[in-house]
Amino acid sequence: MTATAPEASTPLLEVSGVTKRYPGVLAVDDVSLSLETGQIIGLVGKNGAGKSTLIKIIAGAEHADEGHLRLNGEPLVLHRPHDATVAGLAFVHQDLQDVGDLSVAENVRMGLGYPRKMGLFVDWAELHRQAAEPITRLEADIDPREPVGELSVAKQRLVMIARGLAQQAQLLVLDEPSASLTDEEIEHLFAVVRRLRDDGITVVYVSHRLEEIFELTERVIVMRNGQLVADEPTASLNRSSLISHITGHEHAQTAAERRASRGVGGRPDTEVVLEVDEVSADTGVNNCSFDVRKGEILGVGGLMGSGRTEMVRAVFGADHRREGSVRVHGIEVSDKHPSESMAAGLALLPEDRKTQGNIMDFSVRHNITLASLDRHRARPRVPAPSGRSEKQATDRRIDRLSIATPSDRQLVRLLSGGNQQKVVIGKWLEQGADVLIFDEPTIGVDVDGKEEIYDIMEELAAEGKAVVFISSEFSELVGVCHRVLVLHEGRIVGELEGDAVTEPAIVEICYSQH
Amino acid sequence: MSEMATAQAPSPESGGRRQDFDLLKVISRFGVIITLLASILIFTVLNDRFIEIDGIRTSLNLASPLLMLALGLTVVLAMGDFDLSVTGIQSAAGAIVVILIVNHDWSWLLAVLVGLLFCLIAGSVNGLLVSYAGMPSFITTLATGLILIGTRYEAADGRNITGAKDLPAIYRDFGVGRPDPWLELHTPVWIAAGLAILMWLLMSKTEAGRYMYAIGGNPEAARLSGINVKALRALGFTAVGFMALFAAVTSTARTASSVADSGFSTLLGAYAAAFLGAAASKRTLFNVPGTVLGVIFLQAVDRGLILEGYSTGVRDIAKGCILLLAMAFTRIGASRQ
Repeated sequence: MTATAPEASTPLLEVSGVTKRYPGVLAVDDVSLSLETGQIIGLVGKNGAGKSTLIKIIAGAEHADEGHLRLNGEPLVLHRPHDATVAGLAFVHQDLQDVGDLSVAENVRMGLGYPRKMGLFVDWAELHRQAAEPITRLEADIDPREPVGELSVAKQRLVMIARGLAQQAQLLVLDEPSASLTDEEIEHLFAVVRRLRDDGITVVYVSHRLEEIFELTERVIVMRNGQLVADEPTASLNRSSLISHITGHEHAQTAAERRASRGVGGRPDTEVVLEVDEVSADTGVNNCSFDVRKGEILGVGGLMGSGRTEMVRAVFGADHRREGSVRVHGIEVSDKHPSESMAAGLALLPEDRKTQGNIMDFSVRHNITLASLDRHRARPRVPAPSGRSEKQATDRRIDRLSIATPSDRQLVRLLSGGNQQKVVIGKWLEQGADVLIFDEPTIGVDVDGKEEIYDIMEELAAEGKAVVFISSEFSELVGVCHRVLVLHEGRIVGELEGDAVTEPAIVEICYSQH
Repeated sequence: MSEMATAQAPSPESGGRRQDFDLLKVISRFGVIITLLASILIFTVLNDRFIEIDGIRTSLNLASPLLMLALGLTVVLAMGDFDLSVTGIQSAAGAIVVILIVNHDWSWLLAVLVGLLFCLIAGSVNGLLVSYAGMPSFITTLATGLILIGTRYEAADGRNITGAKDLPAIYRDFGVGRPDPWLELHTPVWIAAGLAILMWLLMSKTEAGRYMYAIGGNPEAARLSGINVKALRALGFTAVGFMALFAAVTSTARTASSVADSGFSTLLGAYAAAFLGAAASKRTLFNVPGTVLGVIFLQAVDRGLILEGYSTGVRDIAKGCILLLAMAFTRIGASRQ
């Protein structure tokens, strides 16, 4: 299916018949589209659908095998990323590509050269003045002299957008720009994007968060398996139809429907496994108490910065506790080292699977057995792992968790986000923890992958594990959790159970704190 | 669970196993080995004495202390740390052993045990400073290494401490020794080989070795998986000290003296060997067989150039160029992935 360009004057950017093959994969399959001036266009699709490759081709970072590009009606040939910059195409990647030690001004004006005094010395005043102009356009409260590395993630993204403006960009591609931003920061980002659109800049907005696509964009382009499968005005879509386009499945449930269809009710009437008693920590955790029962899925909601991650890190002993105690099966657990919590049956699946969850340059096998290596000895007294035992265990996990990997020897770095997350889960299942704390397990995971992770959590609970599930997407909590705690400024400010677990109820508690 | 996940197309990176023969890939993968073989070939053509077996035996003997040092470095490098004090420890330990035997008439065994104790303490101090006090390893070990070299220098007024007459024959046998009847290799070669096998077992076959590479890959993920990151990192520095003792004993035994020398060229050689070894490995990780290969490589180049009559300066230039070449091959491959 190929979308035809809507009739207009000359479109800003035309992509015609672009195809990109990697060995064994057709990453982009005959994609044609055209982008009008001054529109906000959503680009969605699962991981591996071909979005990134398409963007890389437009950015000049990859070369298409077939097809061509036109900019303002003129053929556009990109040999390297710099050509795209010169042509007025700007890209803000999810992983920030700024230089942290340099000032905001230097980052904004990067690649444009330094203004000079007497032909030799850098004219800093002029540089700061030049950089201040695009920053002012973004209505951002940023000092051009500050080192970028000391800014918040939100401000760093704005600096990257300002760089695009400084380069006179006509097209701005934002890849997952709202990741790790607070709600307020996201609001500001949206305002910025709308203002740029009003100024005639075309914005391509890539996101897995469908709410944002509906709120912000005028048109949605959906990719699946390298093909462009839908190109429609946002107004003509609803959540369910958009998910159908993304997954290729007919059905798409809302969180409440999922909850009802799975029969998620109140917490089970079983023994308490994890007891957290008045825990405080220097990371801002303030007197938190709760417990989790066998077979229960406890959700932890709250806005970005509400202290959810900090709370579970203190519970797990990843950070030290200032006060309070943690008991597993009634036995007190010390916070000296994560190994003590693990011995007691606790597992933490950290927020960032790349920097905390996995060893990215280890194979799937070596990651999965990392927390339980001493159980794979060929001889009980010799601390040498047996490859065969490790392989058997890993193959079992690959099979049970449906980890899509060519083999147990594949490097985790080369897996998709959802599969990397499953490797982390596999590691803790292999370790045999009784309490599994999932911190934002679905970030950057596509729609199908998310559903699989919910299924895994439910299976674990059904097997008698206690599960704690942190998420910024409240709909996830509604779809899966028996009970939800809501945090604000490091405190537990609300608790919902059973039928009371609804999205509006969680949002209500979050915002009634201000 | 959804069938979609298993039906997912393989990622582009994983699909490239059986594509057409890619010369650049081969060069980058085997760059170090190709450079080594090419060097051997050139030197053999230039001078057929290059492959004389007796000369090779002597070369291996000369390279043994370097290998011992490089083995210790391989452990800390694998965990992402540097140890620049290794030749300082070696130099100080060598002086301690020789002084105790020559000036104080200690039995050689007792002197070596005191040397061992010193090496383990010196290594552990590095480990405590870096791992537990959180100081950066590069500058910390540069500092402790300077202190050790300076102390060694002052202890003997900057002179070599010779003991040709006073060092017992049994001690001096550690430096050359009677060749074994089978391969006719000298004692240091066997000691170095034994240590290499020991370290290879430790790093590739044990849980501790796996944990070390995990720490090198991502210390925070390793800690959250229950690995005692601090203890293992500290232990790595102690292992460097342990290796330094063997280098100290074999080198002082061979020259029958403790040489007053900053040891910087040895230090750089040991690092060059470890990095060559990493470049030779498939995933560019520091590893014991690679380090052994690196030492042999550097020694072969040295020997070839000596046979051609080149001076120290020219040899250093040539080794530097070869290092750059080997690294360039590896980089070419990495940047194309």
